[in-house]
Amino acid sequence: MNKNKIDEKLQKTAKGLLESKAVNVVIGWTKGSNPFRMRPVFITKPEDVNKLYFNPHCVQDLAVFLKKPEVKKFGRTGIVVKGCDEKALNTLIQEYQVLRDELKIIGVECMGVIRQNIADKGESNLLETTVYDKCLICDVHTPLIYDYLVESDIPEIKISGSVKPYAKIKELDSMLVEGRDKFWQKEFDKCIKCYACRQVCPLCYCSRCIVEKNMPQWIDTNIEETGNAQWNMIRAYHLSGRCIGCGECERACPVNIPLMLINEKMARDIYEKFGYRSGIDINSKPVFGTFSESDFNEFIK
Amino acid sequence: MAGKTGENVKDPRIIAFVCNWCTYSGADLAGTSRMKYADNIRVIKLPCSGRIDPLFIVEAFKKGAKGVLVSGCHPGDCHYTSGNYHSRRKYAAFRDLLNYLGVDLNRVEFSWISASEGNKWVSVVSEFTEKIKSLPDVHDIFSSR
Repeated sequence: MNKNKIDEKLQKTAKGLLESKAVNVVIGWTKGSNPFRMRPVFITKPEDVNKLYFNPHCVQDLAVFLKKPEVKKFGRTGIVVKGCDEKALNTLIQEYQVLRDELKIIGVECMGVIRQNIADKGESNLLETTVYDKCLICDVHTPLIYDYLVESDIPEIKISGSVKPYAKIKELDSMLVEGRDKFWQKEFDKCIKCYACRQVCPLCYCSRCIVEKNMPQWIDTNIEETGNAQWNMIRAYHLSGRCIGCGECERACPVNIPLMLINEKMARDIYEKFGYRSGIDINSKPVFGTFSESDFNEFIK
Repeated sequence: MAGKTGENVKDPRIIAFVCNWCTYSGADLAGTSRMKYADNIRVIKLPCSGRIDPLFIVEAFKKGAKGVLVSGCHPGDCHYTSGNYHSRRKYAAFRDLLNYLGVDLNRVEFSWISASEGNKWVSVVSEFTEKIKSLPDVHDIFSSR
């Protein structure tokens, strides 16, 4: 088996952590059902570390597993993260969902991940046109916080500017309100309420989600217009100021609702209004956990 | 109540979520002072504007309200010190989200009304009712057709 430097260093780091019992489990990626698919793997024995790999097909945000009771019971956890996934860890730490001391963060330098639908057709080149929009605006190729860093020898993507990430947001913003209504009505019409967007989100960690609360039932659970809109609205609202833009919701969506258009828009709005970016500073307070007397007041009579 | 889509609603139902300490008392003052204002408004009293979850607004629209008014104490006057500051932050973001998802922001109004401002309550409610009456009756993503 030909090993490259990234995988070698990744496996060595994980082995060291498991052998010294610094962690009880390492969450990482391993080869999936075909060469263009990677899947999450949980390594508990040092001899299994050679299953760990990293390449531009590692799309999953592994931080999602940290909220699961099955993973929590392992105690000290090692986790392999890309820059964007690491922002999710920061938010979880900020919101007291995980303890920094219980985590060993193995950061990998990531130059972008390939869209899964394109990869499934056999694409494995990192190009402007093959990566996710989030990768084109990524400013965390190297994770912000890590205990161990696995450097990458993959060159940066050449950005010519021909692909405009999240260009639809601008288009929607310039529309009249009726136009946006029409657009989102059409999109939400597709929703089948599978809640994959919630399940895959590293920051949706409530043990009982608002849609499961039925006394009173705030969100209609049947698949019809108002319920669909309510669900997608409340999901976006609960994540505004928290979403770190990993794009997992959109990737997981079986009916391809462009959820990142909402998340990214909200992230931009929150930055504009409150100067806050999520997942950057583990010592700052979450944007809705605090306030300022000089907050935006123009809309209130 | 419901007219044909596109036509103005003659008698729109408007829901007001108000805080117990300022706006509700302000509305009470308007009542005891025998001031007159549009009777389209239905007042729902809550402990604090911080208690007014954005879902309440969505629920009101779903149940057929044509407009929603949210009102609480002026900044600095909150009975619970900071409830209105927190809600202001939430609503600033929530408004953006509503607007982005295609809800006409003319249908949602926010105000600070203190217990002594009976006249402000009257003017806010009357103006808001007039505005809602002037809007065509469109369905948005939260109101079923």
